[in-house]
Amino acid sequence: MPVIATLIAGLVYGGGDVWVHIRDTLLTGYTLGTLGTLALTAIMTLAVAVPAAWLVTMYRFPGRGLFEWLLILPLAAPGYVLAYAYADLMGLMGPFQMAIREATGLSARDYWFPDMRSLPGLAFVLTCALYPYVYLTARSAFVSQSVCALEAARSLGASSARRFWQVALPAARPAIAAGLALTLMEAAADYGAAEYLGVPTLTFGIVRAWQSFGEPAAASRLALILVVIVIALILTERHTRGRAGSQQSSTRWRTVSRTKLPLGAGLAASAFCGLVFLVAFFLPVSRLIWLSLESHDQIAPIGQALINTLILAGSGAALAFVLALTIALTARQSGLVAGFARLMASTGYAIPGAVLALGALLVMGQLGVTLTGAGAIVALAWVYASRFTTSGAEPMVAALGRAPASMGYAAESLGASPLRRAVSVDLPVALSGAMAGALILFVESLKELPATLMLRPFNWDTLSVRANAYASDERLAAAALPSLLITLAGLLPVILLSWRLSHSRPGDTQ
Amino acid sequence: MSETLTAKGISRRYGTSTVVQNVSLTLQPGQITALLGGSGAGKSTLLRLFAGLEPVDAGEIRLGDQLLSSPERTVPAEKRRIGLIFQDFALFPHLTAAQNVAFGLKSMGKEAARALASEWLERLGLTGRAEAYPHELSGGEQQRVAIARALAPSPAAILMDEPFSGLDPALRGSVRDTALAAIREAGIPALLVTHDPTEALESADCIAILQGGTLLQQGEAAEIYMNPVSAAVAASLGPVSRLKAEHLPEGLAGQVVPAGTELIVRPEGVLHDENSPARAKVLASQLTGPLCRLLLQCNGQALTALVPRTTAPKAGTEIGIRLDPALTFMFQSANT
Repeated sequence: MPVIATLIAGLVYGGGDVWVHIRDTLLTGYTLGTLGTLALTAIMTLAVAVPAAWLVTMYRFPGRGLFEWLLILPLAAPGYVLAYAYADLMGLMGPFQMAIREATGLSARDYWFPDMRSLPGLAFVLTCALYPYVYLTARSAFVSQSVCALEAARSLGASSARRFWQVALPAARPAIAAGLALTLMEAAADYGAAEYLGVPTLTFGIVRAWQSFGEPAAASRLALILVVIVIALILTERHTRGRAGSQQSSTRWRTVSRTKLPLGAGLAASAFCGLVFLVAFFLPVSRLIWLSLESHDQIAPIGQALINTLILAGSGAALAFVLALTIALTARQSGLVAGFARLMASTGYAIPGAVLALGALLVMGQLGVTLTGAGAIVALAWVYASRFTTSGAEPMVAALGRAPASMGYAAESLGASPLRRAVSVDLPVALSGAMAGALILFVESLKELPATLMLRPFNWDTLSVRANAYASDERLAAAALPSLLITLAGLLPVILLSWRLSHSRPGDTQ
Repeated sequence: MSETLTAKGISRRYGTSTVVQNVSLTLQPGQITALLGGSGAGKSTLLRLFAGLEPVDAGEIRLGDQLLSSPERTVPAEKRRIGLIFQDFALFPHLTAAQNVAFGLKSMGKEAARALASEWLERLGLTGRAEAYPHELSGGEQQRVAIARALAPSPAAILMDEPFSGLDPALRGSVRDTALAAIREAGIPALLVTHDPTEALESADCIAILQGGTLLQQGEAAEIYMNPVSAAVAASLGPVSRLKAEHLPEGLAGQVVPAGTELIVRPEGVLHDENSPARAKVLASQLTGPLCRLLLQCNGQALTALVPRTTAPKAGTEIGIRLDPALTFMFQSANT
């Protein structure tokens, strides 16, 4: 609904002078910024997440069990938090550049150092924050793949590299594409990191058009372009899948027996996974810890903000989960309506929180509901649900897609009503996907920044709002603690559910 | 020239349980050997050992003179040139039928591989289905693609794990005939893992019976059927009736049956003969196509007989019966 309201607003009201100004001067930059960021993030994410998921699923090497869930942890840290940490780490006064200057005696002008406040920097930060989506979906696809197909490939003389590229990867492609779609939608909607690193993207432009120029119509117009890009993404993914099936014809599952890597290769695998974890999580988070310890005198009261955050994220996630489950299960039972609902929810995800919030404000204004107390919280939960439902639905749809369709027919032949089939057949199959879905929903709602900023009741600060406010004032030390708490709150469900994930398998184990 | 695939005293343990124990089995080229056993007998594990998907804990596997598996060394599956066929077909879902078949032909040129793939599809009666994806094929078609895929690279041997039990029975016979003919023609050792004695008897040249990880008997199909070495072997090849020597009525067996033994008799070995002194009550009479199955009670023991339908007695009547010595086997009684 907020999506529709925004789109209508964008189409009907026209843009006014501000729109003309944006169109003439900034539009190309915004669009290229978004496209460039998306492309770079996609490449880096695939290069990191898919090999990591494959290694962890198929091989035994030192620390494998640990890395299996350590690699999910970055999911807890939002992009803007990593952006704060990396801007500080890699900045002129950061430890790396200081060390270089001390070691070489050069001054800051005499050497090249990667600049975080750039498009590649933004893509790097977003990759660190978002690669776990692809890692999670790829891993769960690899875990539930038909081992028989891999063994058949072996018997046909395929080397392990060929088995990966030509058998496992194509079979896991729908799941990987779903994870990547999530990553990119999230990257497209990022506001905090792009704003802080000063990279002009469409989302950045939208928020600016609304905040600085007070032009909701212009913002809606920019959002339209973003929606077009994301719909193009989704359609491309659906289209390239083509006729080739991804559904495993397998009804028998065998536990993947992991091959032990020889020592050299095993250490290389550990090093790769270790480096990913170090760069994406350990380094920035320990920097934030160090920053907040160093500046303990600046610590502001944040207890209430923490409680507010948990209430909001919990109710948003619950609402979104129910919607996501409904979408996944109805999509399973087919129908044009279900497909349409899915597409609409997908678009909801693509819309930055700020524009969704704008749409919600428009709708509520029409209904005469004011933004106070409980009403605002309901509105926020509504926005969270609109925005994050897709992220919860995609892994479930992917999990269902791997189960043979005959299972559903079997249930129907047993006289199960569509409802009973959904509850007693599809639901358990979707479980490994549903776990991933629920996890993603909660953490997403928790990290959401721009919509929270706009819709929160007066004086109802959440952690993300606090962190953003401090960071914008260049009070990074003060921003560190709420950032860390967001990360910490996100960690709990990540750890809990990563354990469940690694212990759930469809079908029997022979 | 194809070579024999030989297992000598191989064992495989998972933790403390031994799944395959001291099995020796020779697969002759051009022959289909059925590996028959119930679930959990270790059939699939034995197949995986032959395939090189798992290492052996004892013994060795050879192809001709070449050592494939020993506790010290396992030639990996991808280097063995042994084709595998699974119950669930295990086709690559993202490849067409022709691409599936060409998968193992990587060393050939692209054109040659494509030509050979379509030749194999044609041989298995799949002309015109080359461009279909697995999910667009029926079960029988999928399994024939899988068989073409396994045979196309001219493997040194082929191993089949319940290849036909996932298929519609109406289809099963014709798919099996096409598939096994192609395999026989290839002239390589072939192992057919199955739990279905009828399938083993109908399609295999040799049968090996596996129970609890141990081979009970192996040999030509007819030989095993007519001369089982134990009651367990006899029972695993089809339904039997068991008669204790102590309760045997006069004149039924037509041979001396010492105390402490039991007779195992196949249903077609129970003959309706009004001249026999042994009498049995017909409890039920069921049609099974051309034959009629009689459930009999004779001196307090249950017996099953298969008799021609036209002469079948009605339920409730009493008839004279005797046993055909060729289809009756005497073993030490298990319980005494």
